[in-house]
Amino acid sequence: MTAQMKLGAFLWATGHHIAAWRHPKVHVTAGIDIDHYIQLARTAEAAKFDMIFCEDAAGLREANVGIASQTSRSIGFEPISLLSALAVQTSRIGLVSTASTSYNEPYGLARTFLSLDHLSGGRAGWNLVTSASPIEAANFGSTGLKLHADRYERAREFAEVVTGLWHGKSSGHDGQSFSVRDPLDLPRSPQGAPVMVQAGASDVGRDLAARTADVVFTAAQTFEEAKAFYDDLKGRLAAYGREPDDIKIMPGVSPVVAETETEAREKHEELQALIPDDVGVALLSSYLSISDLWRYPIDGPLPELPESEGMKSRQALVVEQSRRDGLSIRQLARHFAGARGHWRIVGTPAQVADELQSRFEGGAADGFNVMPSYFPGELDAFATLVVPELQRRGLFRRDYEGRTLRDHLGLKRPA
Amino acid sequence: MDNGATMHLAVSPVPDTSPGTGLEFNRLASFVQRAEAAKLDMVLLADAAPTSGGESANKPMPFESTTLLAALATVTNGIGLVAAASTMAHQPYNLGRRVASLDIISHGRAGWNATMAQVPREAANFSRPEGFSADDFRRRSEEYIGIVQGLWRGWDRDALLFDKSGGRFHDPEKMHLLDHKGEFFSVRGPLNVARSPQDTPVLVLSGLSEPDLDIAARAADVILLESGPIEGANLRYDNLKRRIAACGRDPDSVKVLTNISLAADGRLTAAADRLEEQFHAKSCDGFNIQLPAQLPVIDEFADLVVPELRRRGLFRENYRGTTLRSHLGLVGGGEQ
Ligand SMILES: Cc1cc2nc3c(=O)[nH]c(=O)nc-3n(C[C@H](O)[C@H](O)[C@@H](O)COP(=O)(O)O)c2cc1C
Repeated sequence: MTAQMKLGAFLWATGHHIAAWRHPKVHVTAGIDIDHYIQLARTAEAAKFDMIFCEDAAGLREANVGIASQTSRSIGFEPISLLSALAVQTSRIGLVSTASTSYNEPYGLARTFLSLDHLSGGRAGWNLVTSASPIEAANFGSTGLKLHADRYERAREFAEVVTGLWHGKSSGHDGQSFSVRDPLDLPRSPQGAPVMVQAGASDVGRDLAARTADVVFTAAQTFEEAKAFYDDLKGRLAAYGREPDDIKIMPGVSPVVAETETEAREKHEELQALIPDDVGVALLSSYLSISDLWRYPIDGPLPELPESEGMKSRQALVVEQSRRDGLSIRQLARHFAGARGHWRIVGTPAQVADELQSRFEGGAADGFNVMPSYFPGELDAFATLVVPELQRRGLFRRDYEGRTLRDHLGLKRPA
Repeated sequence: MDNGATMHLAVSPVPDTSPGTGLEFNRLASFVQRAEAAKLDMVLLADAAPTSGGESANKPMPFESTTLLAALATVTNGIGLVAAASTMAHQPYNLGRRVASLDIISHGRAGWNATMAQVPREAANFSRPEGFSADDFRRRSEEYIGIVQGLWRGWDRDALLFDKSGGRFHDPEKMHLLDHKGEFFSVRGPLNVARSPQDTPVLVLSGLSEPDLDIAARAADVILLESGPIEGANLRYDNLKRRIAACGRDPDSVKVLTNISLAADGRLTAAADRLEEQFHAKSCDGFNIQLPAQLPVIDEFADLVVPELRRRGLFRENYRGTTLRSHLGLVGGGEQ
């Protein structure tokens, strides 16, 4: 059998489009409705997705309360509790939650994910992030965000301790940031160890991923960007004694799909019409680590930006896109509001499948993290329209081959 | 009872210590469902982290308590679920947020059990090998608890508007920063989780030494005491209720429960007598029954002891509402 693509279902309350919550077909209380999430998880499992994926931030997403109140992003479930609930309401799909190395301790986090792994029978994964937001920092006693390099140094040590604990390493750890005495007091994982996912694509981020990650989640607009990232990361593995296939690279993709192209475009326009300009600009500026983008003429170009200490990789992506396509701040903001810089495809099931196939077969991705524009509609559309098309082409599984998340992803079981 | 007051009943499943019997989720879920069918107020979930500090510790739960609570919340719909979680293992923002989220998942049935006792092994695994002095730990615990409770109040009940056409998801006036800057923590808030269906999750405090009692009187919804000799127990209870009143709180707004361990051999009918005797001596508002996590044991408790308590008018027939606060007769959640 030829290789098949891996698919994640990135769940997020009302949807990934910033204005999704205003869409008439969207369940507006999604962020506080566990039954809604159980339904989404079952839809994704019925469609044989490899995993459910949840992002995270330990704080509000937007500093300006006036802007925040015009989005649905200020409230939602904490993802580890959410996935623990979903673990016993599903039986096969993988469950990946984001958690920060900046605001946790490795012993506690290793234990919590191992517990989720036991509750789910070996389907848990941890998406390692280093937290780029000063709003989060203020909830943890910091007066400001720690420097990018320092966050990654802490993350490296953190990951080393967590994997050591999961692999049953019994001796203690006494390092720069952490000290741990005992082994974990839970039995070994049903899948050897929970899956390590990483989101973070700067140079140091890629090195850390090459060292520790099983799956990498990334954002890319064009085929060339995706391919360059893919080749670069796979190329770094040998230095850590790993094979290219030991890591699955899964860029985000946010499809708007309908039976006809016209219908898909209309759906997309309907969502775009719901974005207030100030909300769009605020979202873009938070990812660029610039607080006063609104001072610049909205129909003018993006100004020169100081290098980010937050998300270096996303800043670079936006700057590159603005140059390449000659977009104004307004145009960039409206584009960014669709999926925060991730790849968007608007079209028919065959068109979406074509695009995914060409990135997959062109060696730019091992699979995709699917980011539905709004819920439940666009997840249903992907599950019922695109998945069968991918299956017909032999690009995606018709049934789960195993029980654990490592089985689904075709990852080795750690010794 | 003369004034119609009945006892509160919680249960703590104690892991089986016999070798080779892991406590898998389904067995634990059946245990909790049985406790729910008997209408017990709540289940207290111990955390797996070793709490006895010794090498002879009980075989631990194979699950971390907050993840376990979330899973149990989806397979039950009445019983309260309280997870033990330590102030060493989590940052206050993260813990406050986890429990707030659990409360929404369980539709208002969640609580947090914080122990006031410092566990040296925890300190050693959480980059604090030297731990804290007893006094520092006490001040830190009180500050921590205050932050968590403050975060739980960050959103007003009617803050969420869900106004699609007006583009107003929430009312900006009804979200409040905490802006806490204290001796051990500084936390800006608010939580990025909505307000609890029962206003705030229930706070259970345990592991109290004498100097901790005032903190408990100020902050707790439920105080868990170790069982002692019945003589003097009512004095301890009166003393605690006086301290609660001295903090300007209604003495009845804090429930004092006594831990009782019932043996697995089967003489559970005698237990009703023991509970009645202690309750009538006015030594507590109810009990936390520590039972081996085995179905025959909880079945026996539910089939023999609980009906006997009901016959004697000591325990209610049914839940009065849907939230843990309503089971405990505490204000909150708009149900009183
Ligand atoms: C695709 C992608 C998704 C991310 N998701 C999250 C997230 O959910 N929560 C978070 O705190 N950080 C997230 N991050 C941010 C990174 O973990 C990190 O905090 C930030 O420094 C970006 O790292 P980079 O410059 O190496 O890309 C994400 C980064 C990428 C590239």
